Amino acid sequence: MSDLALFSRKPTMSVNGYRVVQSISVFVIALVVISPLFMLFIASLKDDRFQILADMGSFRAFWVDNPTLSNFREVGNFAGELAFGRYLGNSLFILGSTVSLGLVINSMAGFILAWGSLPGRAVILSLIIALYVIPQESIIMPLLIIVSRAGLSDTFTAQILPFVASPLYTFLFYQFFAQLPKELYEAASIDGASIFRTWWSIFMPLSLPALATVSILMGIETWNQYLWPILITQTDYARPISVAIATFFGQDSIYWDRAMAASVLMMIPILVFYLAFQRWFISSFVGSAVKG
Amino acid sequence: MANVSIDNVAKFYGSHKVIHGIDIDIADGEFVTLVGPSGCGKSTLLRMIAGLEEISDGDIRIGDRVVNDVPPKERDIAMVFQNYALYPHMTVAQNMGFALKLKGESRATIDARVREAAAILALEPYLDRLPKQLSGGQRQRVAMGRAIVRSPQVFLFDEPLSNLDAKLRVQMRAEIKDLHRRLGTTTVYVTHDQIEAMTMADRIVVMKGGVVEQIGRPLELYDRPANLFVATFIGSPAMNLLTGRAGQGGFVTGDGVVLPLPATAAAGATTYGIRPEHLTLDETGFRAEVVVIEPTGAETQVLARCGGQTLVAVLRERVELNPGDIIGLKPDLSAVHLFGEDGRRL
Repeated sequence: MSDLALFSRKPTMSVNGYRVVQSISVFVIALVVISPLFMLFIASLKDDRFQILADMGSFRAFWVDNPTLSNFREVGNFAGELAFGRYLGNSLFILGSTVSLGLVINSMAGFILAWGSLPGRAVILSLIIALYVIPQESIIMPLLIIVSRAGLSDTFTAQILPFVASPLYTFLFYQFFAQLPKELYEAASIDGASIFRTWWSIFMPLSLPALATVSILMGIETWNQYLWPILITQTDYARPISVAIATFFGQDSIYWDRAMAASVLMMIPILVFYLAFQRWFISSFVGSAVKG
Repeated sequence: MANVSIDNVAKFYGSHKVIHGIDIDIADGEFVTLVGPSGCGKSTLLRMIAGLEEISDGDIRIGDRVVNDVPPKERDIAMVFQNYALYPHMTVAQNMGFALKLKGESRATIDARVREAAAILALEPYLDRLPKQLSGGQRQRVAMGRAIVRSPQVFLFDEPLSNLDAKLRVQMRAEIKDLHRRLGTTTVYVTHDQIEAMTMADRIVVMKGGVVEQIGRPLELYDRPANLFVATFIGSPAMNLLTGRAGQGGFVTGDGVVLPLPATAAAGATTYGIRPEHLTLDETGFRAEVVVIEPTGAETQVLARCGGQTLVAVLRERVELNPGDIIGLKPDLSAVHLFGEDGRRL
């Protein structure tokens, strides 16, 4: 064995050691993250709420002897006291509407800011960026008054409309469109495309990464909305599942079995969403690096 | 097809003037090249013709119509961009037919026109491919195809060959020239490459600093450059320029070298210009010291020092020379260019 080969053994071993430490760390972190979710899923299959409570804090929390879907049957109604089927449907409708309208509105705004002949574009852009720093909670009371006066309390509109246009997503689209070559816009205008047609036929099809990023971020934000819907919804009509789940808590007795089943119901769509767009998820967080 | 008339056109960015009142008349069916160094305003002028830049002053006419305030899509022009600007998500056929689709033409018409253009440009096998699946030369042809299908009055080319390698550039140069011969459409072509300008254009417009330095046929510019800038810009290797002063016995350079002058030479010349191919080896010529010899096979380029100034001679014959040799160089007196103190031709 040459001196060179002997010399090179040491770093190889330390690299292997590093890999072992890395694998163990990843495993431990994954375990910490996944165990509550697993516990939630197991608990949702137990029909005795006292047993669930008793099992917490022991390894029995991760095991079910007689799994049953009775909790899901109890909460999965579309009317009545436990209309979680309806709440889930409401949440999905709000998610779908907010995200699809948001993609159209924010991309249009971003496109005009990037390529339109809007006077004072730079000022408008800085104002939009400035708006982003204002926390949603600080404007929630005036917004509540506006929505009530407009007669939109307890409606889907009240839960969709205020979140459609967003400075963050407009800026993300602006950034994406601005880095596409100017010649594409010019070629389209020489070809005879109107500004709307240029946006729709040329820039939108090229914006799949931006569309995916915004859909993901906006989807998570909408799905996890809690404060605004709890203020604005009074009946089952437009109540989302995030608010409905909270009704299990704060009472004299907590129905852990039902709460667990409802939580699983709330988690499933976002989990499916995540699995479908896993690749985009990672790139969206790396790319935008915003919204914790 | 139409003529293009540029009448006292100026362009300001804020208070900064980039185009200083330019006048150019381009005849119907003519191929005109705008050439000049980076920042001379040639692309800006082309973009003003296209309607992509506003005109600050003056008028641009396409045919009989002043188009200053006409949007690009209504100017009946087609433009080929340096980076091709093909729509990446559309196939070759969709790229070429997009403008016709927007015009509301029927699918059959679009298909026929696209196939016709594809046949001219040998693009038929690629109609269903995406731009990313094509080579640089093929993309360039698609960009031209997109322009052709519209049968515009004027073709505008903005440095279309800059992104191609040298061999492909020569090939595409010939293709564009041939296309122009076949279609006869008025063409304005921007390039910074004077060889491209010389080989393709009916007329060349040489620009510098937002000003037209000279307009003329390629050989006219080569043979009779209006000023020192055109003299050095057109021709490769560039014209040799030696500074000094014209006197009774000849042109005396700053280092005291005496160069022969034509009989009709104007007095007051301060720059003596001679193209490299108009110098021949001759013992009776002025003395110069060989610095570098570059044989290319067909010719030999000799870089020589004459006093403190260097000059290049292109010799058709093969010569045995070494650096440091003293040679005699004789200028062809009929091809001597003399320039005054202001840089203008005398």
